[in-house]
Amino acid sequence: MNAKTVDQYLTELSAALHARGAARRRFLRECGDHLADAAAERGEEHAVRAFGPPSEIAAEFDAEVAARRGLRSTLATLAGVLATAGSTLVLIHASSPGASAPAAWAITFFVAAQVAAVTAALALVQALVLRRSTMPAAEVLLLSRRNGCALMAAGMTMVSAGAALPGRGSAVLILAGPALVGVALVAVLRARSLARRLDGSGALAARPPLEDLRRLTRLPVPSLDAGRLLLVTTFVAAAAAFVRDRGERAAVSEALVTAGIEAAAVIGCFLLLGRALGVWHR
Amino acid sequence: MPRPSMYSHGVRADRLRGHLDGLLLAVLADGPGHGYELGQRLTRGSGGELDVPEGSLYPALHRLERGGFVASAWSSGAGRRRRIYRMTSAGRRAAQASRREWRVFSAAVDRVLG
Repeated sequence: MNAKTVDQYLTELSAALHARGAARRRFLRECGDHLADAAAERGEEHAVRAFGPPSEIAAEFDAEVAARRGLRSTLATLAGVLATAGSTLVLIHASSPGASAPAAWAITFFVAAQVAAVTAALALVQALVLRRSTMPAAEVLLLSRRNGCALMAAGMTMVSAGAALPGRGSAVLILAGPALVGVALVAVLRARSLARRLDGSGALAARPPLEDLRRLTRLPVPSLDAGRLLLVTTFVAAAAAFVRDRGERAAVSEALVTAGIEAAAVIGCFLLLGRALGVWHR
Repeated sequence: MPRPSMYSHGVRADRLRGHLDGLLLAVLADGPGHGYELGQRLTRGSGGELDVPEGSLYPALHRLERGGFVASAWSSGAGRRRRIYRMTSAGRRAAQASRREWRVFSAAVDRVLG
């Protein structure tokens, strides 16, 4: 490394950083303080050399900022999904008496609601497992995909409920969900944008959800390969749909149709979204 | 082991990377301090053997803060404002756990290396 002044080093470090905002300003200020102390004690050349290559230090800090943004956007996503669930319930209760939803909208509503809940849970478990450790950019990208999917599905849940069951309700309560979804989407896109600049591989990260659950809860959660996980999930979801329909006094044949639709939806979503969401990999 | 001249900084830094958080918590156990001071404690405590790039301390400190192991605040003193880091109770527990893990790990490596 050629002899550099502290100012030259800080200019290089600043240019190498991708992160913007308050975290970047604080980091540069701390680095400046450190280098000033070191230069006063050991001379500028030694201080700069001991600090490390600016590109490597910038990459380490960018990765930390991306991880922090990933975690914060997960909390925002959770708030957005829960608020949308509340707004959707308000919408349903505000619908005209006796209104019944067309089958296509009803199916969209139930599928989107389940996708939102499952993907938000996947993101939350991943974030809780990684909240105190280093998080490679590929993991932040996976977290962003899970959060983004949860938010889109939550939005679709509300749209399908509103389209299927027109009515009147409190605008504040109905708009609270979409507003928080919008805020969360901005947070997710910020995390994703930074992580994409740091991850040059473009490879999709895989993160088996049951392993994360075992790490988080320290319970003996069994390991299942993708095929078995799909089989178990499909069976449980279809059985739950059948029991719910029978509980609402539907005929056995009607409940079986509902269970069949549920199973098809689970398999379809697993195949369509599972790889992007890190549930399985080729 | 002789210290290879060409790659000495990189190899040592790589070996340290997985332990930097635990080392920082250990030096923070001696009391709060700013980044430069903590780096000095690390160097003194290791007799100068730990050759971590000083710039790596800050991403690690920010990571420890994200995990709730340390807290920080700007503080003015001697005409300068500095970011002072202090350990939280979760950090104290993590430092103890880190010590335990290291003893188990180093004992195992010792047994294999002889």
